[in-house]
Amino acid sequence: MDHLQKFAAQFRTRMFLILFTNSMFILGAWWIADSFLIAEPELMLAFLISVSIISIAILGWLSAKYLIQPITYIWQSILHVSPETANTPAPNLKHVLFGRELVTALVSHVYQMANVVDAVEKTAGEKHHDLHTDFVANSLPLPLAVLDKDMNILFVNNALLKYTGRADADTAGQNVYSVLDMSFTNEHTFDRWLEKARADKITSSHLWERVRLNVPESNHPRLFDLVAYYNKNNPEGFEIMLVLFDRTRQYSQDDQAMSFVALAVHELRTPLTLLRGYIDVFEEELDGKLDDEMAGFMRKMKAAAQQLAAFTTNVLNVSRFENDQLVLSLQEEKWGPLLESAVNDMQLRAGVRGVKVTLKVDDALPAVGADAVSVYEVIVNLLDNAIKYSGKSKEIIVRSYLTKDGLIETTVQDFGTGIPESAMGNLFDKFYRDYHNRDKVGGTGMGLYISKAIVTAHGGNIWVRSKEGQGTTFGFTLVPYAKLADGQKKGDNADVTRTAHGWIKNHSMYRR
Amino acid sequence: MAQVFTSPNPIGKKILCVEDEHFISELYVRALTKAGYEVTVEVDGGLALELAKSNQFDVILLDLMVPTMTGIEMLRHLRDPQETPQLRSKIIITTNLEQRDDIRADIENRADGYLVKAEITPRELVEFVNSIK
Repeated sequence: MDHLQKFAAQFRTRMFLILFTNSMFILGAWWIADSFLIAEPELMLAFLISVSIISIAILGWLSAKYLIQPITYIWQSILHVSPETANTPAPNLKHVLFGRELVTALVSHVYQMANVVDAVEKTAGEKHHDLHTDFVANSLPLPLAVLDKDMNILFVNNALLKYTGRADADTAGQNVYSVLDMSFTNEHTFDRWLEKARADKITSSHLWERVRLNVPESNHPRLFDLVAYYNKNNPEGFEIMLVLFDRTRQYSQDDQAMSFVALAVHELRTPLTLLRGYIDVFEEELDGKLDDEMAGFMRKMKAAAQQLAAFTTNVLNVSRFENDQLVLSLQEEKWGPLLESAVNDMQLRAGVRGVKVTLKVDDALPAVGADAVSVYEVIVNLLDNAIKYSGKSKEIIVRSYLTKDGLIETTVQDFGTGIPESAMGNLFDKFYRDYHNRDKVGGTGMGLYISKAIVTAHGGNIWVRSKEGQGTTFGFTLVPYAKLADGQKKGDNADVTRTAHGWIKNHSMYRR
Repeated sequence: MAQVFTSPNPIGKKILCVEDEHFISELYVRALTKAGYEVTVEVDGGLALELAKSNQFDVILLDLMVPTMTGIEMLRHLRDPQETPQLRSKIIITTNLEQRDDIRADIENRADGYLVKAEITPRELVEFVNSIK
């Protein structure tokens, strides 16, 4: 109120001065006219009225601008803060001629109120925004995490905290792996995808199946499918979004089915290990002491044990393949020696049936990209088939050569019963067996099925040609190691030597 | 209790065979001692770990399913640099149990070799052990 009183006093003073000046001017004019110019009173009255009107007009015009100046400044400040007229410059209060204190106070009130309005609008806007994110993110019945560009957590929803067993934890700012301890089924991990996405994508998304989440203080890992979304330089800093789809129950059921097969195979393998061990001992100790018939039985027994071992491996591999667990490790292998060792191992089983296997490998074949353990099983399966279906024929020919397309092709040819045309289309199906021969020849129909899976996983093809009564040729291709895509090569395990029955590390290179 | 089998023609190398199936270890002992190795057989995982830590063996043949402590756990202890620094033994996993992929990868990281027992004969085991550098 002080400012207002001061302003009123200043206003009164200025009004007094204006009115006083006006009165003096009129009195002066009357005195001059009376003394020197006009004698008649009517004329004098008309003269004075005219002078008053002129003087009021001039003084009113001159003082009006001066007296309304404070209001002009206040109005200008209001225009300045109004969004529609925000281009109006702020008033320069140094030029206020009177009532400066009141004008300054009023203008600053205008500014303050404008700030308050701004803040209220902004808060209202944020409230609206929070309402959206809170509702969607927290009510989403799927675990969700949002990460910044350094893979640190910006936001996790309640479902994720619950899922990871950290209901009360403060996760903001932590690295994603300290909250989500994830392991992936193969080398195509989240990290690798992110690296690639960052290099050449603006936005990208990807799905991983069967991701394992290790939950602290729990022996039961969770299994889930993970979906990630990437957005380069997101304005809010939300660079990565992860959503988890729990599949623990489904995948555990698969694992249990798998572990049942693994346990059953284990139970088969233990006596098999012993049988093969004792045969080995007898073979060594009785060498040269048995008559031909007994020596023949010994070979047949050994061949039968080998066959059983190969069968258990097939069972396991079918189970692994069907649970997406058949992961191959393709390495640079010399194909000739690998093929030769598999054929040699099968000579015994061919021999006890009076069949001879001949091997013809072209010189200078390039090294193949192969998983030695798995590809050995392909050769064993194809030879096993050829032996079983050889009938009266006593010859099997294995050939390997380079095709026109630069692939390494291997064929196993028998001269036995052949396969009827009608059965050709189903040969590589699971449990399929040629019905003509079903009663005559044993087998489960797993061998070709798993062979196809293994060859396909090598990037090759498997095929068959047959003519009833003349024999059958199975063939498959492998890709030269040099032509494999980089992703297929298992470079980090180059120090591991794989054989048909296991692996061993090269110790001079091996460091943990 | 661990049993020690000496070789009639020793080559000065010692093997620890962790195997609870007596018939299998019997066959392995026969083949390995014949080839010149001294073989110690232990059926109990926990006791085998203590023996292994003594660092006297050139090769440890480790079955994964043995009593009191699994082979995988033993492998972790033996590869823990704080618990077992400078273990000179080469660890070869011998098993008939097929592993899940993640365990497989774990074994591949920590062990020096891997064998499926049903896939090899005792004489092939000797060849394998001979090939360890």
